[in-house]
Amino acid sequence: MKREQCENLIAGILAIPHAGELQVTLHGSERLGTRFNDCAISQNTLKRQHTLTLCARLGQKQTSLSINRLDDRERIRRSVEQVFANCEHMPDDEELLPAPGNRLESREHAYSEETEALDIDSVGRRVGDACHAGAAAGIDLAELLCVKKEFAAYADSAGGFAYERSHLCDYHVTASGADGSGWAEHKGVSLTEDALMRATRRAIDKCRGAQHPKVFEPRPATVILEPQAVGDLLSMAFWCGFDQRAADEGRSALSDFNEVLGRLSLYSDPASPLFPTVAFNSGGEALEKAVWLDQGRPQQLVTSRYWASQKQIVAKPSPANLILSGDGSSLEDLIRGTADGILVTRFWYIRSTDPKTLGFTGMTRDGTYRIENGAVTYPVVDMRWNDSALRVLGQVIDSGVPVATGEFFPMVMPALKVDAFNFTSLSN
Amino acid sequence: MFELLKLACDIATRTGCQFADARYLDIRKQRVMSRDHALSGCNDSEDCGFGVRVLYQGSWGFASSPNYSAAEVEQVVTLALQIARASARAPRAGGVQWAPEPPQKFSYRSDCRVDPFAVSLEEKAGLLVSANEVMLKNDAVKRAQGYLLFKRVQRWYANSEGAELHSDVTSSESVIWAIAVGQGDFQDRNWKAPSCSRGFEAYDRTEFLAQAERVAAEAEEKLSARLAPEGEFDIVTDSENLSLTIHESVGHATELDRVMGYEVSMAGSSFVTRDKRGRFRYGSDAVTLMADNTLEHGLATQGFDDDGVPGQRWEIVKDGIFQTYSSGREFAHYVDEERSRGSCRADHWSSIPIVRIPNLLLMPGKQELGPEELIADVRHGLYFEGMDSFSIDQWRLNFQFGGNAVWEIRNGKKAGMLKAALYQSRTPTFWNACDATCDASHWRAHGIMNCGKGDPMQIAQMTHGAAPTRFRNIRICRGRDA
Repeated sequence: MKREQCENLIAGILAIPHAGELQVTLHGSERLGTRFNDCAISQNTLKRQHTLTLCARLGQKQTSLSINRLDDRERIRRSVEQVFANCEHMPDDEELLPAPGNRLESREHAYSEETEALDIDSVGRRVGDACHAGAAAGIDLAELLCVKKEFAAYADSAGGFAYERSHLCDYHVTASGADGSGWAEHKGVSLTEDALMRATRRAIDKCRGAQHPKVFEPRPATVILEPQAVGDLLSMAFWCGFDQRAADEGRSALSDFNEVLGRLSLYSDPASPLFPTVAFNSGGEALEKAVWLDQGRPQQLVTSRYWASQKQIVAKPSPANLILSGDGSSLEDLIRGTADGILVTRFWYIRSTDPKTLGFTGMTRDGTYRIENGAVTYPVVDMRWNDSALRVLGQVIDSGVPVATGEFFPMVMPALKVDAFNFTSLSN
Repeated sequence: MFELLKLACDIATRTGCQFADARYLDIRKQRVMSRDHALSGCNDSEDCGFGVRVLYQGSWGFASSPNYSAAEVEQVVTLALQIARASARAPRAGGVQWAPEPPQKFSYRSDCRVDPFAVSLEEKAGLLVSANEVMLKNDAVKRAQGYLLFKRVQRWYANSEGAELHSDVTSSESVIWAIAVGQGDFQDRNWKAPSCSRGFEAYDRTEFLAQAERVAAEAEEKLSARLAPEGEFDIVTDSENLSLTIHESVGHATELDRVMGYEVSMAGSSFVTRDKRGRFRYGSDAVTLMADNTLEHGLATQGFDDDGVPGQRWEIVKDGIFQTYSSGREFAHYVDEERSRGSCRADHWSSIPIVRIPNLLLMPGKQELGPEELIADVRHGLYFEGMDSFSIDQWRLNFQFGGNAVWEIRNGKKAGMLKAALYQSRTPTFWNACDATCDASHWRAHGIMNCGKGDPMQIAQMTHGAAPTRFRNIRICRGRDA
């Protein structure tokens, strides 16, 4: 939906007579998803969705209602009446604040004309090319190419309005051999055929190097974590531990925390060219550049508008991406500088083991290799690890160039070389 | 409602499709959330639309729309066909072998005596906020939270073979939890009212309040618990803790699409290769795991799956020996089965069905045995209650699970609580270490409402059941350094 269509629809909704304050969020997406395994397409889908969310407020009471039919004006009118009727039955919540009423400029950092032009046939052709590359190499490929075209609009009865379009291309590929596999990805707002084929070739190369793995007895070891592994660990750590109110109330690993976590900076920036995002959230707040760790020093964490008002500080909304600065070393340099260590392509199934220390567990997956005397010497059997994200950040020896990654959340991460990473048991 | 679904199938058949099906879903959800003395939110949603799946010249296409009209149905079928043609750029060798299923016409409705959407917000608020207030009476508790989630899915399914099926399933879930702060630490403890396909009759205020008091006391007790020991110990799990272990180490491991490599790009594959069928010792003689998509109040009990196959009951592990997999119509032929196990489900009208874990139940022991007797035969071990940290590798072999509350067992009795305890094992090692499970009077069902699988991810629900069960010589490690 274009901006003008959204504005007209929302203006009509806000004009429906209502007693209190109304916030309207409109979200639409078209997702082309092509998945294949064994060099054949197994799923090919097109998903188109719209969601209209109405958030009603009467004094200190608030409720919301979402519907997905935008073509039925009568239903929308009934929904507005219903959400206010529900609201009357809510108990008061003293933490509610009035709608922000921001009129935000449409920045559209994450919009790509090139991606907008992609259609079913061009996506199918790109996946077909990757399939054929796998077949030519005699290696099974399993992968997903997902192209998402979205828009989001926000308006409130205090005059607030925001609208942006965005794109996301997610390609990831697993190459499987007889007893080892390799993996690679490309993420961002656009996807060229070159980028897709580069990722495919990288997965194939990783797979070839992963055959006949040997056992490395699990123990603390110097590790080089490639960007996807770093992104998975830090996204979990961020969502578990980087909330200001929880920290102030003693419910966070960062409560009364005075240590410096290494020397890297962690920040968010919707305008980052490496992984841009929409620059406002569903509550109508603008998302600006925000620093969470400044050269390892924790800064003000995610702060809701309510908590900011209580503490007399500025609100810092939840971000839409996370970026970790790096030292700029190439992966080859990181490997060359390692006498004895393990190279990890990616992690799998990371879960919290101790919120107090930001302790996590997880597995290595799809390409884990031994490094000896500055070179990758052989693949190793995948391992489980148990370690603290705080300790990992504090023990970074060297790091690479940040690149776009993130399984569920946009991340821009460098490879990290970390001392004494705690491997604990063997996998398959 | 079936008219337009049949129209979709007719158009697809006329265009030369080998098979087509169409689903219309009407999904209603309500989530009510509490934080300390207030409700922090009440979100209602109504979501409806239809999806059409076509099999054209051996390749699949799928498209969907929220707008349910004859003109839109025609467009969506055209789009699904266009996608199937694009899929044919990389066709599967030998095409898709679709297991036969006699077309059926029936309707299924889950047991729902009190419609949760008709219950007042005041009553729901009363349940959650009063539980929070009980938890907050404990001075160590600095945050009390909870939620109620209700979901009603009405589904109409038709296919080109003549099936016309309808289901109407209401399910619900509730959790309350307390976070205690003190002694330089913070700890949480929760209680889950078992998720199930029932209405508001599943919720009892008296039980909420009693559980709230216990949860708060145990959250406080966790603050002063000592760190778990490390090494090999006997463990006893309650039914809730074990339900997640069943889910991860048996449920996912025995999905036939994973075994055949269809999930390699995300969820992974499985160590339970086809050569293991009928002969692999998955566990000890005490281990029989029954799949049952006819289980009353089971979250995967939906009358029929999204391939149009009625719910079934079958053994996945019998007396410790692996029997067979969960499957859909596309997969049955891989294990020479003539019929699908009816376990292929989609999470939305805009999602394509994939093989999902059925309701999967560890059958109770045949001898009379209670949890106290189970624990009495442990000299030094650990007792795990509730779900916490859970992680398993992509072959479903190496796993590590925690518990929401863990007690030390000393000389056959539960002693003090432990912090940061985790049990780590490999799937067959663990299930072969099972030496006893309690009898049917101690058996409980627990629902999983957030099982993620697929790429892009779909969220499914299913039920697992177990009685308290004992495992010998399991490795214990810690999630926190000493």
